[in-house]
Amino acid sequence: MMTAELLIVLAQIWGGIGAIVAVSFLTIGIEWIDEDAQGAITFRPLLIPGIMVIWPLVLWRWWALATNQDRSTSPQAAPRRCHATVAIVLTIVISTTLLISASIKQTWPDHVPAILLEAGQ
Amino acid sequence: MSVKYIPVQWNRFKSFYDLVVLAMIMGFLWVFVHLVPGVLPHDPAINPQIHNMRAFGSCAFFLLTAILLIGPLARLNSRFLPLLYNRRHLGVLTCFVALTHATLVIRWYFVFSPTDRYVALLNTNTAYTQLLGFPFEAFGIFALLCLIILATTSHDFWLKFLTPPVWKSLHYLIYPAYAAVVAHIGLGAFQDQQNPTFGLWMVLCVSAVVLLHLAAARHERMISDPSALGPSDGPWQALFPADDIDEGRAKVARISNGERVAVFRNNGRLSAIANACAHQNGPLGEGQIIDCFVTCPWHGFQYDVTNGRSPEPFTERVATYNIRLRDGVVEVNERANPPGTPVEPLDIPVRRPGNEA
Repeated sequence: MMTAELLIVLAQIWGGIGAIVAVSFLTIGIEWIDEDAQGAITFRPLLIPGIMVIWPLVLWRWWALATNQDRSTSPQAAPRRCHATVAIVLTIVISTTLLISASIKQTWPDHVPAILLEAGQ
Repeated sequence: MSVKYIPVQWNRFKSFYDLVVLAMIMGFLWVFVHLVPGVLPHDPAINPQIHNMRAFGSCAFFLLTAILLIGPLARLNSRFLPLLYNRRHLGVLTCFVALTHATLVIRWYFVFSPTDRYVALLNTNTAYTQLLGFPFEAFGIFALLCLIILATTSHDFWLKFLTPPVWKSLHYLIYPAYAAVVAHIGLGAFQDQQNPTFGLWMVLCVSAVVLLHLAAARHERMISDPSALGPSDGPWQALFPADDIDEGRAKVARISNGERVAVFRNNGRLSAIANACAHQNGPLGEGQIIDCFVTCPWHGFQYDVTNGRSPEPFTERVATYNIRLRDGVVEVNERANPPGTPVEPLDIPVRRPGNEA
């Protein structure tokens, strides 16, 4: 099997598991762990794509909340804590990308009319 | 929000915001499709199908650039805060535009592929070991996956479910997504394009994003919240003179355990709560008090500064702190009270001219 085919199959398996997690979480789990979701049905279809994409994270949080293992009752992450680092890394990465893009850019006479080559030439 | 979830929480401002963004997207696409071919022709010339996919691709790039400009602009000048208020809807629209671009690409280049079109997309160019002709499609796919994760986890449910720190960390994916988009364009369409206007626009957008983020980071560093003056007495830490706090406003300090405490002055009395909003950890200390409630400058969540609770029917809560005054200096007990714990506000003694040291 080619790498590309393998990647597509893995993506399909990932999505398939995500769909199963989505169905079970949205029909059973969500009402247990979030009182604001009790009786709120119409918003649930909106969550399906997200669950299919990050289902391992969903399973982890579901387990943590359902078993009272959640340790984040007082979120105190300082706003914009990592921003300066991110800004510097972004600057370096984007500048390097632009420099590479400009340095490898080729110019050639691409409007030369095509010539039909005769057989045997 | 801490009321029953609904699909989309539109209000008058958000509806107006979304309508303006939609109108701008439609306007951009119309100009790109109908005016650009005559005014700024692609060089070499491209067919209408490629032109349409470039219209959506360019639109997604400009939208992503705008999203990344809003944060630092709002930090440098509070007049831009209204743009931040509904940025998530802008992100969802960007994802739809990028998906349309990807769909047009696949339906044009791979529609007659004898193999599966997605396999063909991944298989067309595998020259990953060289820069010239590098498979730029990979960067586009990565960026699109990031945008899909951001858009599909934008509902408020996710904020509460994942917790604000995890949610914010996840949404830092916007930065690698932007870097990937720049690489996607730089190693893709830019290589083919001989018209300099294309490259100029790209450099202009990227420079704006980079420079504004660096400026915002520098600004943040210059106005960084001061550390506590030091341990005073057991868990009590001295912060700053009470007189430094303006009426209706707060002053923020970082205490020894790394947390930030916002001390508010309301009707001449002091109250202290955690500086991080329960919604997205927005900086509550930059908000203003109106009727005992401080409003988060990011998304408008409100908290009573005397108990850290949002007004009914909302149930968001932030931690409160016990404070005291010693020689006019505010001292805070570093052990935060559980979120929503009422704390009696502290009276500031009126200083009389004869009593000053």
